[in-house]
Amino acid sequence: MNCKTVEDKLTFYLYDELEAGERAAVAAHLEACAACAAAARELERMRAVLDQRPRREPSPELLVRSREALDEALDREAESWRALVRSWFIVPPGVSALRATAALTILVLGFSLGWTLRTRVPAAATGNGSGQAPWVGSDLSNLRISGVSQVAPDPQTRAVRITLDAQRRVVLEGSFDDPRIRQVLLYAMKNYDNPGIRRDTLEVLGQSGNNPTVREALLYALRRDPNPGVRLEAAEALQALDWGPDVRQALLDVLREDQNAGVRVAAVNVLVEHADENVLPVLEQMAAGDPDTYVRLTCARALRERAREDF
Amino acid sequence: MEGCLELIHRVPGATPQLDALEERTLIRQAQRGDRAAFEQLVRLHEGGVLRLALQMVRSEEEAKDIYQEAFLKIYRSLGRFRFESRFSTWMYRVVMNVCLDHLRRAGTRREVQAPESEPGQAEFFHTLPEERPALNPERALQGREVQRRIQAALTRLSPRERLVFELKHYQGMKLRAIGDYCGTSEQTAKNCLFRATQKLRLELKEIA
Ligand SMILES: [Zn+2]
Repeated sequence: MNCKTVEDKLTFYLYDELEAGERAAVAAHLEACAACAAAARELERMRAVLDQRPRREPSPELLVRSREALDEALDREAESWRALVRSWFIVPPGVSALRATAALTILVLGFSLGWTLRTRVPAAATGNGSGQAPWVGSDLSNLRISGVSQVAPDPQTRAVRITLDAQRRVVLEGSFDDPRIRQVLLYAMKNYDNPGIRRDTLEVLGQSGNNPTVREALLYALRRDPNPGVRLEAAEALQALDWGPDVRQALLDVLREDQNAGVRVAAVNVLVEHADENVLPVLEQMAAGDPDTYVRLTCARALRERAREDF
Repeated sequence: MEGCLELIHRVPGATPQLDALEERTLIRQAQRGDRAAFEQLVRLHEGGVLRLALQMVRSEEEAKDIYQEAFLKIYRSLGRFRFESRFSTWMYRVVMNVCLDHLRRAGTRREVQAPESEPGQAEFFHTLPEERPALNPERALQGREVQRRIQAALTRLSPRERLVFELKHYQGMKLRAIGDYCGTSEQTAKNCLFRATQKLRLELKEIA
């Protein structure tokens, strides 16, 4: 082993990360070479200096405060729409995904305006306390809904009640795998007034895999949602999707056009993981020209890190 | 690798390690929404998580934020855990990502404060007057000053270098395990450790 090789391996030698053979070779070289032995001693001194940094043990008080903070967050979580949406994706062991999601029930109640139904299902089945006939498993492919006024999870039954602005009261039952149900959810996501709920829903849908409806919902939210928090959530959730030109294009558009610097930074963070010849020029352009210092620095740093590591 | 994972998990007063079957049962209960089961899982790992967070960010407030953010993310994505890896590895991946985010944000805050004409972070910090005090060697070796220097040097590593270095030097983990925990390769972890020690050697030359 020559001095250059030993120099490169010294760190790993001292941190005990070499194979036995390499280890022995480095040790033998250090016995024989004064210069390398000196370098090893220098590195050892540095390690000893670093050991002087005190280990900080979490105080019992910090542990208690941390538990309380988590408890509160979990309480909020249990009450949220997100908890219910999430429960649709949890597949108990030994049960096929299809059967598990078939248990999903969505109730769509309280239509008032503008809901155009073209359904083949006879309007006769069980009444739902409204005096109006419900549709069960209606064909939703031609539906137009004028608005969503409320999305209310029911923790008791683990069902979700979506109140839409439409003309009639309708009960929908189906699994998340049912494209018609997805359509309602997608619609709710695009139209629901409360950005907090849109954000929660997106986060959960982002975890639910690569189906085309989820993809569409995330890309839609990223480009169009009026709330920057929701767009931010969409940018983060996109990381779970298979990378593709549609995702790349949406992120590049956001980086160039979104008014919110935080959303642009989130887009950079995803793009840099997939920085190819389509992406790099835009990052360079933004590093030089973005109006926001933070975005320029993030682009510049992403390019720097990209240039020297692959992690 | 087992031995190294132990280090990070060993918490005074913590619940003793579960056997594989007990852990599996707890995870399944938690996946079905059993909050008590989830809290038991948290108890098993919280000491290690909090200690790691405190090493990384130094502020108790921020360590608490990391704890909360990480376990909440774990709770939310627990349904996706498929028992394909060790639970602790899967869980620490989430923790590492949260730590990286915090380090990145802290780094950006620092960079934003730096004049943009400065060519790089290291140079910028060297120009700060208190970074190059005309101290005599005895004074420089005083504990407080040494610790301030160490902390400043660690802060100058990139978030990834910092994370890998903490796990290697202070937690004694093997690079392969670090790669697993960070969701990357052993080679990448190795590169980070190498760069980190090179930088630290330069930064700490005067006091080593
Ligand atoms: Zn030599």
